[in-house]
Amino acid sequence: MEFARPIIVALQISLGITAAVAHADVVAVVSDTSAVMSLNKEQVVAIFLGKSAHFPNGTQAVPIDQADSTAARTEFYARFAGKSPAQLRAHWSKIIFTGRGRPPRVVANSSEIKKLLLQNPNAIGYIEQSAVDSSVRVVLSQ
Amino acid sequence: MSLSSPRQSAAILAIGTLLFASAGISGDAEAPMFTVNGFGTFGVVHSDVDNADFSISSERPTGAGYTRESSFKVDSLIAVQLNAAFTPKASAVLQAMSEQNYDGTFRPHLEWASFKYQFTPEFSVQIGRSTLPLFQLSDSRKVGLTFPWVRAPADLYHLTSAASLDGITINYRMHLGQWTHSLQLLAGRNDLKLPDSGGSAKTRKLWMASNTAELGSLTVRIVAADSEVTTPTANQLWDAFRQFGPQGVAIANRYELKQNRISYLGVGASYDPGQWFVATEWGGLFSHSIVGRRIGWYASGGYRFGRLTPYLTFSGGDANNLSDPGLDVATLPSYLVGPATGLNATLNSILSRKPVERTVSIGTRWDVRPNIAFKMQFDHTNIGAGSSGVLINVRPGFVLGGSFNLVSAAIHFVY
Repeated sequence: MEFARPIIVALQISLGITAAVAHADVVAVVSDTSAVMSLNKEQVVAIFLGKSAHFPNGTQAVPIDQADSTAARTEFYARFAGKSPAQLRAHWSKIIFTGRGRPPRVVANSSEIKKLLLQNPNAIGYIEQSAVDSSVRVVLSQ
Repeated sequence: MSLSSPRQSAAILAIGTLLFASAGISGDAEAPMFTVNGFGTFGVVHSDVDNADFSISSERPTGAGYTRESSFKVDSLIAVQLNAAFTPKASAVLQAMSEQNYDGTFRPHLEWASFKYQFTPEFSVQIGRSTLPLFQLSDSRKVGLTFPWVRAPADLYHLTSAASLDGITINYRMHLGQWTHSLQLLAGRNDLKLPDSGGSAKTRKLWMASNTAELGSLTVRIVAADSEVTTPTANQLWDAFRQFGPQGVAIANRYELKQNRISYLGVGASYDPGQWFVATEWGGLFSHSIVGRRIGWYASGGYRFGRLTPYLTFSGGDANNLSDPGLDVATLPSYLVGPATGLNATLNSILSRKPVERTVSIGTRWDVRPNIAFKMQFDHTNIGAGSSGVLINVRPGFVLGGSFNLVSAAIHFVY
């Protein structure tokens, strides 16, 4: 059945059922100087989907996204929000095309996220577990 | 009543501004003042109706069926939107759209043009032309990428084509326990141009209140609206009825739409945990006029197999008063029997346009890329006795009741 392999691969790609490649553990992080200690999944998702503008303690929350093509972004929204890239795009299209809001600011990668967190104690982002260092505090990991 | 040239110029100016602005956008500004987004659908629908057309709007001259068996003009559209963020709190949107207009052209028009001030993250006021969100999907009913189907279910979304509001929208969001409530209060007016040189339906004293409650993947929405509507449609018919004395005057007064109240009540719910979804919505228009009482609803569900989302939808429409005995010809002198019979026939023909039908739709969405979706859909509709369903452009040979099928394919994109 060797001849069928390319067909199966093509089918898997077209259906998007390629299993999570390089399954990176992604965690939500805030600045080490933030007063926010921990958040649950619903709270983090609400901030990133534009449904909440505040942390539970009342301070303003500024979500920062990673670029479209990054594995961290795909993993973050799949695991915590249950949304594929297409579903996420649909979610924001609903909001953008009525002028009700804008998606989070986007930066290139995890180290850019960490740079921004240093500048803004209200910011919240997500990075690979392996990129966590003393400048950030993990607020959601499961 | 032709298109006023200032409005046409405004639309052309808007498009020009958008194109000009898009050329000037810089790529990596931290928070750019201007951004441009757009969306579109290229869709074709085939209908087996012979003497009428299927369309997504009753305020269009043509669709698929009688005019052309396969039509690109039902679902296809393209839009471009300029977003301006003057300050973190003050913003504006300008959206221009090209789709089949009331006069059959695809001349671009200004869909939204509004200014928003965000007083707090939870409270904002929007002024200008913006969406009239009577339906759960009103906000994005033209943005096919945002929903699973080829088009918003016609049995409900056909109830009104008035999708925009010139006025004020107040948005307030609050968190109660685990629930997030988004309250909206709107007030304003709407002018809806009618096909076949039919003038405009003028909606005044229009207000709407809605609450959207969200808990995780669950969304529940309730909406109420009221308005005062005047339409020139059938004015000559009512004048003719009035010449038949008290019984004609009574008929004209009962049906004429002249500063009459039209109310809307709607409820909807959806549950979308990611892997699958269910969505349902019910809405009703209520008026003591030719509009009468019209109900629309749908229930739909789908399952996501990776990028493929097959779905199944049931939908329906109901209306009261599909016919009227009209003038009592037995009481009339013989020379008036002919004209009276003609008027009665015209009245009943208008009443039969109220949609009563049941539809089952199956289809699938394929997410080609995050910003491109391809869909195919099959619809089978049984029309109720005495009704022409949601069909438009009904020709003399059309037989009321019956059934029809649609086969649709569409590509949706956003950028």
